[in-house]
Amino acid sequence: MRNAAPFRGGWPAAGIGLLLLFPLSCPDAFFLDVFTTGFLLAAFAASWDVVGGVSGQLTLGHALPFGAAAYACALLTSVAGWPLPLAVAAAVLLAAAVGTGIGALSTPLAGPFVALLTLASGEIAHEAAVGNTFFPGPGGYAWGGEGGIPVALPWRDASPFSSYYTALAFLCLASFGMLRFSRSGAGLILRAVAGSPITAQASGVPIARFKRLAFAVGSAFAGAAGAGFALHVGRATATDLSLELSFQAATFAAVGGRGTIVGPVVAALVLHVLFQGLSLPPSARVLLYALTLLVTLRFFPGGVVGTARDLASRLGGKGMRPPRRRGRNRSGEGTP
Amino acid sequence: MASPLPQVLLDGLFAGGAYALMAAGMALILGVVKVINLSHGAFFTLGAYIAYAVAERGVGSPIAAAPIAAVIAFAFGVFLGKSFVNPVRNHPFALPVGTLACALLFEQAAQIIWGPHPLSIEAGAPWIGPGGLVVRRWGVVAFLSSAALLGGLEWLLSARPGLPLRLIAEDEEIAGSLGMDVEAIRYLTFGGACAMAAAAGALLSPSGAVTPTMGRAPLLLSLVVVIVAGMDSVAAIFLLSIGLGIFGNACAWFLSPQWSYVALLGAVCLLLSIRPAGIVALAGRRD
Repeated sequence: MRNAAPFRGGWPAAGIGLLLLFPLSCPDAFFLDVFTTGFLLAAFAASWDVVGGVSGQLTLGHALPFGAAAYACALLTSVAGWPLPLAVAAAVLLAAAVGTGIGALSTPLAGPFVALLTLASGEIAHEAAVGNTFFPGPGGYAWGGEGGIPVALPWRDASPFSSYYTALAFLCLASFGMLRFSRSGAGLILRAVAGSPITAQASGVPIARFKRLAFAVGSAFAGAAGAGFALHVGRATATDLSLELSFQAATFAAVGGRGTIVGPVVAALVLHVLFQGLSLPPSARVLLYALTLLVTLRFFPGGVVGTARDLASRLGGKGMRPPRRRGRNRSGEGTP
Repeated sequence: MASPLPQVLLDGLFAGGAYALMAAGMALILGVVKVINLSHGAFFTLGAYIAYAVAERGVGSPIAAAPIAAVIAFAFGVFLGKSFVNPVRNHPFALPVGTLACALLFEQAAQIIWGPHPLSIEAGAPWIGPGGLVVRRWGVVAFLSSAALLGGLEWLLSARPGLPLRLIAEDEEIAGSLGMDVEAIRYLTFGGACAMAAAAGALLSPSGAVTPTMGRAPLLLSLVVVIVAGMDSVAAIFLLSIGLGIFGNACAWFLSPQWSYVALLGAVCLLLSIRPAGIVALAGRRD
């Protein structure tokens, strides 16, 4: 499709090649860990893009499926004693179910009210996780609350190399799946729904069902990323459900270019590695994310991909059409 | 000990009065600028921190802190309105995400400047009324000054100076064609509404701990008020805010402080499910 034109060709392959090479040239455990987390966050950002970009449902509570899957993973392995693969599968299914529920609730809502509803539901889950020190763990320690719940892992001290390569493989598979979904027939219909719901409805599209589908698919991938994150960190904590995390996903998508899947992945990797690699304190990091987002929204509404495409079409041979005014069309995509 | 009910009612009444000031600001932004301002809670927090900083320098009265907070918040609000909200207000993605970014930006900045720990302001000795009822001075001050400011707002909106605001709320094209500077009125209104939120924050600052995220609950309360009461009647906003103030206080008293926030979040979800059109006037006017 036209949307991914700048990325066609060998660019993804070159990027993956560089990432495969990186641990061999820099076996520093800290940077490997930063990248591993970055891969999981990038998959999470892409899953936001399925809901918020491709289908235009502006969610500000995308941490809910992420954190729900992380908590499910932790509870099922530590408390219920399920084997890990089964627990991960159940966690992903739970995330998809949560997403379908939120999608069903937000289907009749328009524009900013979807943002309000998802924000409120995410905050309820966060408060529930922070406020409850439920299960007394082994040895008399209370589990839950800010400290979270540990995941019972079948291995001890995974090597940073294996974590790195597993997370990278997960990111590649997940992004490939989401790209396929966004370019499939369903993805095309979702783009039409995002562009103009009324036109889509008039053409006979059952828009409620497709909105639920977008929420379910996006949430399932978010859940997979959340389960992976819980396995990597070894715990599910209340931060996995926080508003800041939902906001980070929206930031990555806005900076990378909404609706492109690849853009959010690249933006997440670059921004996360940059801010985390500098060892900034967490509050300074969120502050920088917010600043980056505000500057992007104000001056580059199409994100990096959209702006690059705009520039390319203006400078290149295709510059016959007049430059388009930003932020004009209804879908909110400044540069479609 | 006597029944806690009168105490809960009284404290809720005091808090609700100041919340009404903030909710009226939210309604003003919705009516004139026609956007949902998710950074409204951050201005409430800003007001509380300014009151703390003023109290640290020896001026303990919220009456002195509120005007200072209002002026500072007005300056920030005008900047935000002019340089961000006005240029992107037709962009359905940028507004909610951008105003949320402003709120998080401020929360983190407050955490860096003042630290994540709860701060408290010396409130002075309360009066003890009949039956052991504790009448807090800041509460009386907050309630009376909020009521006075809201009365002033009501008068201003219904009188001659409020005419441009009412006209822009009804039809901005006609307002523009009559020679009104619609853009300027929009960002000035935005700044004024932010000043109202900051004044409410300064007035309520002695009521509890001042923390970076303290503005989230009042933000949700204002949203509930605006969804239910609409934007037309200041009296309806005032009464509903007091009701919600008492409700939140009762939740905090009988369950735990955290529950009043969860109850407000639940109310937002429930209201949006019952009333999918959300704020009817906004949904209808935005074509």
